[in-house]
Amino acid sequence: MRISARLVTAALLASTVLAGAAGAQDKKYRFVMVSHIGSNDANMGWLTESLKTFEEKYPDVTTEYISTNNYSVQEHVRLLEQAISTNPDGIAVPIVDSDAFEGPLRKAIEMGIPVVAFNIPDGRPEAERIPYLTYVGGDEYLTGKRLGEYALAQVEAGKIPAPTGVVCAVHDAAHQGLKARCAGMRDAMEATGAKFQELFIGAEPATARNTLQSFLSANTDTNYIFTVAGWSSPWAWGVANEMGLKPDVDNEGVTVMTVDEAPVSIEGVRAGHILATNSQGFWLQGYAPMEWLYWYHELGYRPNSDILTGPIVINAENADQWAKLVRGVFGDTEYDNQNTW
Amino acid sequence: MTTTQRLVRGPGFGALIGVAAMLTAFTLIDSAGWWSVRTIANVVQFTSILGFLAMGQALVILSKEIDLSVGSVYGLTGVAFVTLQPDLGVPGAMLAALSIALACGLIQGLVVVRGGLPSMIVTLGGLFAFRGIIYVWTGGSVRNFPEEARVHSLTRLMGGELFGIEAAVFWMLGTLAVLTLVLNATRFGNRLLATGGNAESALSRGVRTDRVRVSVFALSALLAGCAGILTLADRPQTHVTIGELMELESIAAAVIGGCLLAGGRGSLWGAVLGAFIITGFRYELIALGAPSSWFITFVGLVLIFAVVVNQKLARMAGQSV
Repeated sequence: MRISARLVTAALLASTVLAGAAGAQDKKYRFVMVSHIGSNDANMGWLTESLKTFEEKYPDVTTEYISTNNYSVQEHVRLLEQAISTNPDGIAVPIVDSDAFEGPLRKAIEMGIPVVAFNIPDGRPEAERIPYLTYVGGDEYLTGKRLGEYALAQVEAGKIPAPTGVVCAVHDAAHQGLKARCAGMRDAMEATGAKFQELFIGAEPATARNTLQSFLSANTDTNYIFTVAGWSSPWAWGVANEMGLKPDVDNEGVTVMTVDEAPVSIEGVRAGHILATNSQGFWLQGYAPMEWLYWYHELGYRPNSDILTGPIVINAENADQWAKLVRGVFGDTEYDNQNTW
Repeated sequence: MTTTQRLVRGPGFGALIGVAAMLTAFTLIDSAGWWSVRTIANVVQFTSILGFLAMGQALVILSKEIDLSVGSVYGLTGVAFVTLQPDLGVPGAMLAALSIALACGLIQGLVVVRGGLPSMIVTLGGLFAFRGIIYVWTGGSVRNFPEEARVHSLTRLMGGELFGIEAAVFWMLGTLAVLTLVLNATRFGNRLLATGGNAESALSRGVRTDRVRVSVFALSALLAGCAGILTLADRPQTHVTIGELMELESIAAAVIGGCLLAGGRGSLWGAVLGAFIITGFRYELIALGAPSSWFITFVGLVLIFAVVVNQKLARMAGQSV
């Protein structure tokens, strides 16, 4: 039954890619972004908006954004192979799983299709990694590390309690990037002697709350919660609040941290529920790979190093400016809709 | 036959033994942690939500069908409730959301019955289609549920507390009582069991099995919709992933609770106990420090064990399986 569903999905995706290829014949270049950020993730807006801006600036290029929902590596690889088979002039893709993506991407590069990794790099040593042009994106490990370091600076300043136990709440157990965020937080907290644990909460809200509450009940020394998705931060805060663990940002109780420059993350900071979040420069992650692919074709450009677009810590001091920026991208109505606090 | 004999030969007896074994094990291993107000409140509250889905699933399985779409219907109803609220108000949004759930069930039921298609395929299609509608409708994020809607009397009635106990618990128990009565003491219940037990025989006795089957799909979807509204009325901060994989947990709960996939034998209170076992084990495994992903392995093992035990119990009760 699952096979038939996949066949239908694959056929639909293939027809989308082929239709795009046909429509792009009058343009000089066709670049395809094969993403893991689907329409079930509000961050897709950053990428699609930036591609639109890119097309306005470079009218001789057509860009296509294709993505999976209900993420699975197998689905993503299938989508990538379909995109390669249409022989585009460039591909931007997150390296969610180095082993799974290696075969198709090496084949694409051998075919002469330039590849830029975005959002998630090939985490292996440079000599072993897939020979893409460059990586454009944040550093998942640094995301966790910088947020952890920021929290410890706030401890030093006497604004929040010192960590006694830290839990990294992960919604996708197979996502290397999320694991790297947790690893960064773990390393930042290591010197404090606080117990660090990774907890798979899943993405279903009621189940995640149930899991978190069980964990917090059994681990009473946990006073820092790091949710590696912005949308799960209200769940963590809500559970801690219901348990009387005082999760607001002050010098007592539990401290909650999260990620992303999404409205829910920024408004969590502004409301005093979340200590800090981060930006990994999502807009640039859509725009910059396309520009590098364009410059590669037109001028032979090859970046000499990875291009890091983040992380930048968003805290109570700069959250207002971030809110203004994000409102500009999403619009006021959409921004308010996405603020679920 | 005495009440005890009826209980022992009944389809939910396996689940009752399962709950007793689970409670004994948890008392021996982690008495203080398990028997705390907070733990029981949390487990019972989530059991109530899953229980709604499990009851619907049990009704469908009793009619010898299956419903793989309940997780997506649960999600779609919850999302519809939150999304339509600004335009329709709380009562209007609740009514509209439940109508959507009912329509999902009716459409699937009609396609199964009129199209002569396997319910597994039709509801698998429903699972993808309804989830897809959530993605398209929301654009990736479920909107804010404003403060005035959160404090609305109807929202509080569905999502508030009574005597310190979550409203969802009372709604689930009330629904369980009504549906058990419907199943055991009404003509519809009798026809449902007859349809699942032997459809040809039921048809020959004048039972409109097509109507019965469409009705159970509609009921299943409506129960999933109620669970979605109860969840969001209580905790409106959600995501487009709401309900993912809950169809599988609901099937597991119904089977652990004594429902035979061959149809005609099952119990609603057994399905709720099945939901309690699943939720209780998830909670306690994490509390004991096991990686939370072990839970899936546990559900798989218990499911196989439950099928074996329930088949033996069914044979003991004189049913051919």
